[in-house]
Amino acid sequence: MSYVVPIGPYHPSLEEPIHAKLYTEGEIIKDAEVFIGYNHRGIEKLAQEKNFIQTLVLVERVCGICSHSHPFAYAQAIENIANIEVPKRGQYIRVIMAELERLHSHYLWLGIAAHLVGYDSLFMHIWNVREKIMDILEAISGNRVNYGMIIIGGSRRDISDDLRRDILQVLDEFKAEHEKIKEILLNDKTLSMRTKGVGVLPKDVAIQMGTIGPHARASGVKVDVRKDAPYSSYEDFEFDVPVVEDGDVFARVVIRALEVDESIKIIKQALENLPEGPVNLGMKIPKVPAGEFTQRVEAPRGQVIYYVVTDGGQTNYRLSIHVPTFKTAPTVPYMLRNNSVADAGLIIASIDPCFSCLDR
Amino acid sequence: MQKFKSIEIKKEEIVPIAEKMKSEGIRLLMIHGYVDKEGKKVISYQYEVGDTVEAYTVKGEDVLPTISHIYDVAASWPEEELHELIGVTFEGLKMRGRLFLPDTMFEGKGQILVTPLSELVKKTQGEKE
Repeated sequence: MSYVVPIGPYHPSLEEPIHAKLYTEGEIIKDAEVFIGYNHRGIEKLAQEKNFIQTLVLVERVCGICSHSHPFAYAQAIENIANIEVPKRGQYIRVIMAELERLHSHYLWLGIAAHLVGYDSLFMHIWNVREKIMDILEAISGNRVNYGMIIIGGSRRDISDDLRRDILQVLDEFKAEHEKIKEILLNDKTLSMRTKGVGVLPKDVAIQMGTIGPHARASGVKVDVRKDAPYSSYEDFEFDVPVVEDGDVFARVVIRALEVDESIKIIKQALENLPEGPVNLGMKIPKVPAGEFTQRVEAPRGQVIYYVVTDGGQTNYRLSIHVPTFKTAPTVPYMLRNNSVADAGLIIASIDPCFSCLDR
Repeated sequence: MQKFKSIEIKKEEIVPIAEKMKSEGIRLLMIHGYVDKEGKKVISYQYEVGDTVEAYTVKGEDVLPTISHIYDVAASWPEEELHELIGVTFEGLKMRGRLFLPDTMFEGKGQILVTPLSELVKKTQGEKE
């Protein structure tokens, strides 16, 4: 018997609105369609009315989870057009914030994944440990989200020696907790039974669809802007880009658990080798000539792409924002095929979607 | 340090360039678009070539060929978006309906970026009444 099963736009298994139509034969999904647009706020249009400082504040609000990645990408695009060089210490602090953001984002998703498979004790444990990272972010920036750490020409705040020592100590505690959580994530039978072989995206399909971020790396595609096109001194740090070949929901759990280790490595190197000097070039509105630039940043979920066109005036002539979910959501219909309706929520969530980002 | 290179091309070159890039294993980063000060539509096909973004730009065309048969959803989603934002038609593209705004807002034609903000507000408020 054939059915069309709607999921969303508002559904208990979705953190944000999206609409999926599942075409089923009994319990099995034969095909699917995804519809977006429920969070569209016209941010690109609004950016055409804002100056470069106002735009930093605006783009930070594209997304609540990767709110550092957006101004990080935008500021670098403007700095490239205006030929502004950010002081080395400012670059390192930007990297520290970006990697802390990756830690809390990956932990947020790992917790949600545990919750969706019904493993709520693990979900609560993961989110409890995540608080250590949220505390560090608050100590550095004063905020738990929308950190306001990026300005054109550097970072808004410095990290003192005392704070640096405190962060390193908390990171050690976090690392110890992460080893225990990783052991559960990689070896627990309940989790693997519920996620192995579910929502598979093979490597060749991932390449054909042009997907990115941890979603691609969980399908064996080694793509990471931090290595492929380094920015903000990422070339100074030693870290690996883990890749898992299986392409199922379990692989997406594993890849994030492994990436947490790499982010800790980067943060430690940046803190231990923080260069002396200023963190920014001052707070003035920059003079930006006419030009265009596309900046890529490896946000927690994959590439954030900012294309900026300026005309020599005080506002953006065009700001085009594209986020990882724009490249991972199109893979959802493929992954849903030949899985059961009961797994649809888990498969959709497994791309670590951000529909606020996607819709802008 | 990332780099950016912009090259202006004719519409006839879009598909051959996409085929060449694909055959070399180069990823389509994104297709961006806007309307310039002379009212011409500008579409920028951007590819990731190592640390450089190569942008192949077409100006002043209302109808362009799709490259979704070459780059699959990596091309079809941006093409659908551009149709909605600035009203470019992509020949051969299978449209799934609107991405961001209701069909009734612009009588089915996409013009978000080229409509003044004040007019957009009026249209939205009109829908609420």
